[in-house]
Amino acid sequence: MSADAAHQYEPDSWPVQYLQDHAIHIAVVLVFLAYPFAYDVLVDLFALTAEMILPEPDTMLMVFVLGLFAMSFDFVSGYTGYLSFGHAAFFGIGAYFVVLGYNGQLPIVPAEFPFLALLLLGAVVAALFALLVGLLAFRLSGVYFAMITLGITEIMYVISQHWDYLTPGNSDPATGTTAGGANLADFEPMIGIPFIDPLNANVHPGFGDTSILGIEFGDSVIVAYLLVGLLVLICYFLMQRIIHSPFGRVMIAIRENEERAKAIGYNVFYYKIGAFMIAAFFGAVAGALLIVIEGTASPDTTLFFLVTGFALVATIIGGLGTLAGPLFGYIFLESVNEFLTREASGGGLQPWLQEVLPESVLTATIGGITVDGAMDAFMTGHGEFYAGIIFVVFVLYVPVGMLGTLRLRLGSETVARSVSRRIGRLRADDTTGEVDTDPPAETETEAGADESD
Amino acid sequence: MIPTVDPLFVGDVLDLLTSPGDVSSVLIEGFAKASLYLMIASGLTLIFGLMDVINFAHGAFTMYGAYIAAGLMLGLVTASMGWATVMLVFLFVLVVVFALLAALGTIFEVTLVRKLYEYPPIYQILLTFGITITMEQFMRMIVEFRDINNGQWNLDWASPRRQTLPSELGDSELLFVEFTNLQLFEILLGVLTAVGIWAFLNRTRYGLFVRAGVEDEEMAKALGINVQRTFTVVFAVGSGIAGAAGVVLMWDPLWSVSVPLALDVLLPAFVIVIVGGLGSFKGTVVASLLVGMIDALGTWAFTTGVIEFTGLEELMIFSILVVMLILQPRGLFGVEGQGDHG
Repeated sequence: MSADAAHQYEPDSWPVQYLQDHAIHIAVVLVFLAYPFAYDVLVDLFALTAEMILPEPDTMLMVFVLGLFAMSFDFVSGYTGYLSFGHAAFFGIGAYFVVLGYNGQLPIVPAEFPFLALLLLGAVVAALFALLVGLLAFRLSGVYFAMITLGITEIMYVISQHWDYLTPGNSDPATGTTAGGANLADFEPMIGIPFIDPLNANVHPGFGDTSILGIEFGDSVIVAYLLVGLLVLICYFLMQRIIHSPFGRVMIAIRENEERAKAIGYNVFYYKIGAFMIAAFFGAVAGALLIVIEGTASPDTTLFFLVTGFALVATIIGGLGTLAGPLFGYIFLESVNEFLTREASGGGLQPWLQEVLPESVLTATIGGITVDGAMDAFMTGHGEFYAGIIFVVFVLYVPVGMLGTLRLRLGSETVARSVSRRIGRLRADDTTGEVDTDPPAETETEAGADESD
Repeated sequence: MIPTVDPLFVGDVLDLLTSPGDVSSVLIEGFAKASLYLMIASGLTLIFGLMDVINFAHGAFTMYGAYIAAGLMLGLVTASMGWATVMLVFLFVLVVVFALLAALGTIFEVTLVRKLYEYPPIYQILLTFGITITMEQFMRMIVEFRDINNGQWNLDWASPRRQTLPSELGDSELLFVEFTNLQLFEILLGVLTAVGIWAFLNRTRYGLFVRAGVEDEEMAKALGINVQRTFTVVFAVGSGIAGAAGVVLMWDPLWSVSVPLALDVLLPAFVIVIVGGLGSFKGTVVASLLVGMIDALGTWAFTTGVIEFTGLEELMIFSILVVMLILQPRGLFGVEGQGDHG
């Protein structure tokens, strides 16, 4: 072998290789980072048309939180195959832990505990609760597993609707409780490095800081967007690392063939409980972040069966068993919802049509009602109806979801890995002019085949 | 308050046991509730037993049944009618709703559910869940548009009950036992449902096919049974029963005609089907009785002030589910391996 050929195979230094491996991640993160600024620019340029199509940064903030929750749901349901139908329990624990902690109602925890500490503590509590639930539930499988987790969550939901402890001051527990008491503005969730004041920001949208590290954004929603987004990103990467670790491999093995995983010698029970606890941890983080945005926790927004239900919908639309899929699923769902709302909350189809269509069309009557009235009645505010239809269509015709389909198109490997390899090939073309630097692909395709489903 | 047990709890229970009137009232209420639960759950158990499809749209069918029945009753019943005529109209509405919902079920089975038999069971859960969301939102749209119940889709629409329930079905007393005639009527319907389904399964040709299909689908196919058509018939019958249950719930004061009825019905129905054992009709009957009785006891405990916790019945129902899954995951009469996969 000549010296030239040897030179050709010299590997990149690891930072370059790392950047290449995560090219798609970096690109997606950059798009998210730029989004709130791009939104303003586009709305300035295209006015109502842009407002109609693009979800508001406000909505995106909610997408982050619910997307993280759906990811944690997917983490256990999509990768181990055990449908965690009561996942809302962990969301609720995270949310109520922050509210109660902030209101000084938790026994050992001192009042005025920093928000991030409450978030972490709540997540640990949720993980421990998952351990207890898991010890009972993982003796079962299939429908029975789904039902026992659902049953436990429903018990929590019923209790939370009637338990006075959750709502100090004689209000109805079913209507929920607010962090910071009567005045929502008193609630100051700080995200940043603890105990170093300049590195912290109050991320309460509408009431919080408008600058990070001295950089002025002029809008507390953008600050919240960036910092909550950062937390979600960290959570995503932690989960992504776990999925790609030997632990994650065993999770996938359990999904594909639990008997065989057992026969190989893995104690699948421990792995399942471990996965369940990790999912609960991140589900609770999402719950805590919900409080950042909403400021209040109520049984219907945290512990209700449909909270899990819509996470499931988002997961299927995005792709079950693709970690980032649920986030994109939620972007899709919330976009549909916002597309069909009135002007007051972000613009939508109806305000746009009202501007574009001539008056004669809007006031034309079909079967006794005007076109505008029909839109009012059957379109605006009924995003969930259309989302339901879209969901049914997805289950029937795109059962692997958006990311799952993309993955299949790319030849059964994760999207990130495929992009990384293509870039590698391109760069090899540039430097050598030959296409022969395909990396040893066996391990990759094998691993990729495991993940696509 | 969280459940707090009064120190006099034991004494209260003794009071109950030593008062034949109270015991009988609780028993009658228990049977009435059990009948409603049986009507709610039996459609679900039929569909699951044969097809392994967990029909999440079941509650939505019941909710549609309730709304259609409420609309029909309000339209047909006039104040001058005697109670016997109203009962006849009620039975007519029951049949109409059964037929309509069975037709709807047939459409869903043929166009949607059928496509997914080859998929893992989770996809049928997903599909029927999607159907539920869509059906619920559609009804919400109609309720708001037609301004039914002042457009309030989430509140109890009480006027069908207030305006059409004959006063003859009200309170009644026999010897020392207090009950309502509506409860007796519900028990009658519950018994009819149980006998009817038993007869369908054991005395009709399709019942035979159904049992053969449950036992061994491959073999049934090999022997020339059209399993596909049997699936359709069972899905239609199950949907029809779900709708018919909605008709009865329309009159019952403890339930309501509202859009959230779909979920209110769905979750207890799941509990009963699982507690009884997936796919076992006998189990469903026994579980309905169990849940109905415990529900009635919970109501009694609350009304007499033994326990001050308003969510008690729901709490008990889901506790039964969890305890049963821990002790005996297959349910009371479940078959090994049923529902295990996925």
